[in-house]
Amino acid sequence: MSMKKSKSASALKLGAIFLALYATGAIAAKDYLVTASRPNLVFVADAKERKVIKTHTIPNTSMGNSPITLVPSRDGKVAYVIHNRWESISGIDLDSGKEVFRAELSEGDIRGKAPFAMDLSPDGKELAVFVNPTRLLPGEYQVQDPYIAVYSTTGGVNAKPVRKLPTTRRVATLAYSTKGDTLYAYGWEMLKLDPQSGEVKGMHPWRSWQRDNRGEPDTLPIWPQWEQSKVFATPFYVASTDKPAGDPASLRAGIWTLDLEKDVVNYKEFENASVVLFSSVVNPVRRNEVYTVYTQLTRTDMESGKMDRVDLDHTYYNVNVSSDGEELYIGGTQGDIAVHDSRSLKKIGNIRTPNGADQVLTSLRVFTR
Amino acid sequence: MNRMKPLNKKARLIEAAPGAESMDKVVAMSANVAGCSTTFDPGWELDPFLGVAGLCQPMEADLYGCSDPCWWPAQVPDTLHSYPGWNEGNDDAARDWRALQSVFPK
Repeated sequence: MSMKKSKSASALKLGAIFLALYATGAIAAKDYLVTASRPNLVFVADAKERKVIKTHTIPNTSMGNSPITLVPSRDGKVAYVIHNRWESISGIDLDSGKEVFRAELSEGDIRGKAPFAMDLSPDGKELAVFVNPTRLLPGEYQVQDPYIAVYSTTGGVNAKPVRKLPTTRRVATLAYSTKGDTLYAYGWEMLKLDPQSGEVKGMHPWRSWQRDNRGEPDTLPIWPQWEQSKVFATPFYVASTDKPAGDPASLRAGIWTLDLEKDVVNYKEFENASVVLFSSVVNPVRRNEVYTVYTQLTRTDMESGKMDRVDLDHTYYNVNVSSDGEELYIGGTQGDIAVHDSRSLKKIGNIRTPNGADQVLTSLRVFTR
Repeated sequence: MNRMKPLNKKARLIEAAPGAESMDKVVAMSANVAGCSTTFDPGWELDPFLGVAGLCQPMEADLYGCSDPCWWPAQVPDTLHSYPGWNEGNDDAARDWRALQSVFPK
């Protein structure tokens, strides 16, 4: 037996032992973080140990740009990531590092780019991706209609969409309902699509959201991080139209949530806008608590509107939370993930990226194994 | 105007351009990146509250978050399309910023 085969056999035995122990409860399920860093890395960290345990390379990609949206399968086996200047999607086996799925969005004179919105169906069988195509002609670029490409995750490394769903422009988030019977597409409005046909079944208003003395809300929903609570959450700003310009109360900040299981929207305006807010996550245990990051970490009680805030070491883009709701993982931007206590909001740990490289705009996801 | 006739495809397209009744379909895309031509953010000079306290700290934390999605194409090179190699090999902006060079249209 060659060394390589011998190593593979040993790894299989170890895997089998691990699974057997896991099945008997001898090994408790643990939280793992999975994210990406420049220029081409996908890595897994043991959350409690504060340690990177797997580092994988995305093959055949741009080395002068960064991976963006990343979606792990529920079992934590495969992570799907948009990369290669947003023109490719790869599925990376998180144990072996092998590229098990790949879809190219550009072909011939069509340049396809996936600006952020991507999600995996709850059964792990289909991957939905929002695509902006442009036809590149010698004298002009022709903007084509966007679409949602739906891939079978068994499509291999030359995957083609099994369906293309019509969609509006400006979709920044795609999110499946927990049952998988609705694909939410968040752009001008939070549209509820039939994942099979793309038919619009309904919507939760956003741009058309009408409230007394309020203007059109604004948000930047490009960080998927709802896997722990199954609640999509995003911070927003909105003008108070009854207040004069220059009045601190003329711009308000709040959190808008959508329960992906119950299809229920909730929101809370909690302060006059005073700091930048980028992305939010809901605590899966104390479900009234929402955490939001940028240069500060903010905790908002969605019932009372009470707010607590601490400064972070530097600006971060995204935040996720442990399964027990006790720890916050704060990442994006530079080459570290900060760990904070969700009760005191104090920093209690730090995890460096494998190469110290910036995470930039990628997603910071949690899975349990 | 009646004496002017389109001679090529582009000129014919101008003649067939949508009338004013279609113009209200065109709206600005706020706070969402869809490529350089749809990005209107002014850049690092001011934060959303017209001050500077809300800007990214340090600015290197945000540097590639602005170049890689073409967020501020006037301030940093567009690595999505035009200058894909601008920051190649300099993956830690806080450490490597000295190696970043200016770019010039070819």
